[in-house]
Amino acid sequence: MTYCFYAGICLCLIIFQTTIIPYISIFASCYDLLSMFIIYLALYRPARESIPVILFFGLVMDNISGGPFCFYIMSYFWLFLWIKAAIKLLYINNRFFLLFIVASGVLMENLILFGVAVILETDSQFSEAFSIRTVSVQVLWAILTGPFFLMFFSKMHNGWNKFKGLIAGDNGQ
Amino acid sequence: MFPKKNVVIVGILFLVVINIIILFVSNRRQFSLYGAERIGISIVAPFQNIVTHSICFVRDMWRHYFFLVSAAKEAENLRRALSCAIEKNNRCVEIELSNLRLRNLLNFRKSIANQIVAAEVIGKDPALWFKTIIIDKGRADGVKKSFPVVVAEGIAGQVIDVSNHYSKVLLIIDRNSAVDALVQGNRARGVVTGESTGRCLFKYVLRKHDLSVGGAVVTSGLDGVFPKGLRIGRISGVIKRNSGMFQKITVTPYVDFEKLEEVLVILNSPKHEFVSKQ
Repeated sequence: MTYCFYAGICLCLIIFQTTIIPYISIFASCYDLLSMFIIYLALYRPARESIPVILFFGLVMDNISGGPFCFYIMSYFWLFLWIKAAIKLLYINNRFFLLFIVASGVLMENLILFGVAVILETDSQFSEAFSIRTVSVQVLWAILTGPFFLMFFSKMHNGWNKFKGLIAGDNGQ
Repeated sequence: MFPKKNVVIVGILFLVVINIIILFVSNRRQFSLYGAERIGISIVAPFQNIVTHSICFVRDMWRHYFFLVSAAKEAENLRRALSCAIEKNNRCVEIELSNLRLRNLLNFRKSIANQIVAAEVIGKDPALWFKTIIIDKGRADGVKKSFPVVVAEGIAGQVIDVSNHYSKVLLIIDRNSAVDALVQGNRARGVVTGESTGRCLFKYVLRKHDLSVGGAVVTSGLDGVFPKGLRIGRISGVIKRNSGMFQKITVTPYVDFEKLEEVLVILNSPKHEFVSKQ
């Protein structure tokens, strides 16, 4: 049941990102919304439950994107590992921690992309000025909106758990 | 037996090496994942289709219905006759624009004399760095991998993945795209590749060719994907360095990729089978 919830959220994020965001010019340089959900999973959910979701939706993103195959699976996986490690090192209930985590997550995904581009390609590199500007805007967007996304996911999950509890109660009676 | 820190470091290094190997292997186009590369399109594309059509429906409702209602209210306040004229005029402009667009597409369809299928763009690439689109035509409509995708203004890209009813198209502005091209005026040859800024680079053009800004660049047909003579873009910058064999040329595509809504897939483009020598 929980996986259905995760699948629904991920699918909504992907659809929103690929069909609605392109029509809104203010979000032209928006970050990968699914990375926020990966951050949420890493922060609040156990690894055993999260890794299948990360692998499956990494594969889906690899399928619909023009990037090198396995790029999303890897970047989500490393993002997940990084957040898990950061939780152990830093104090989680600090508000600034969330800002730092979302900003570093988006930055990390972009750095992995550049790393992959360097590893796989020799002649076609990203334009430096364009890349710096785009990544900066993405990080800024992440700082502004990321914590709200995390709060939204958390609320949704609580709602889902209550809904599950209601169904279980009905079945019990 | 070993300190925990060392085990963690070795583990991370091992993962990095595994990652690099997987990337190298999966990046080779010959490598097949037995359909795994199409799972995502099959799952996501139907929803993209529904959402895109819903957006279009709402947008059309807004444009054609609500706009007219507000115009009518305004007209009641002014003069009924004038409002009717404005309303009619607006409708005519809309029809004229769509007529022009469709006529353009139809004329282009006739002019390329190929078997083609029209498709609608239902989704764009989730990453900013890659330029691909999802269209609502797939294997069931006769679309296959590496088929060229064009619009009236020029070439848009080529099909890189096909599922039953949907396909993924690599746009010419993507960094991984390469199109063999000619300058229409002096027939200088080169390869048009995408750039992350939404423009293209015209690579491998010899320094001996005199090129000027504004010159049209067309497909050469030598890449085995695009038919010869289709428009790509116009030259927007020429840099001739003192050394080196080639000059640096920037090309601005004729196609506005931000406003790409409908495309045509050429089904019977020239095919070249490349057989490796044993």
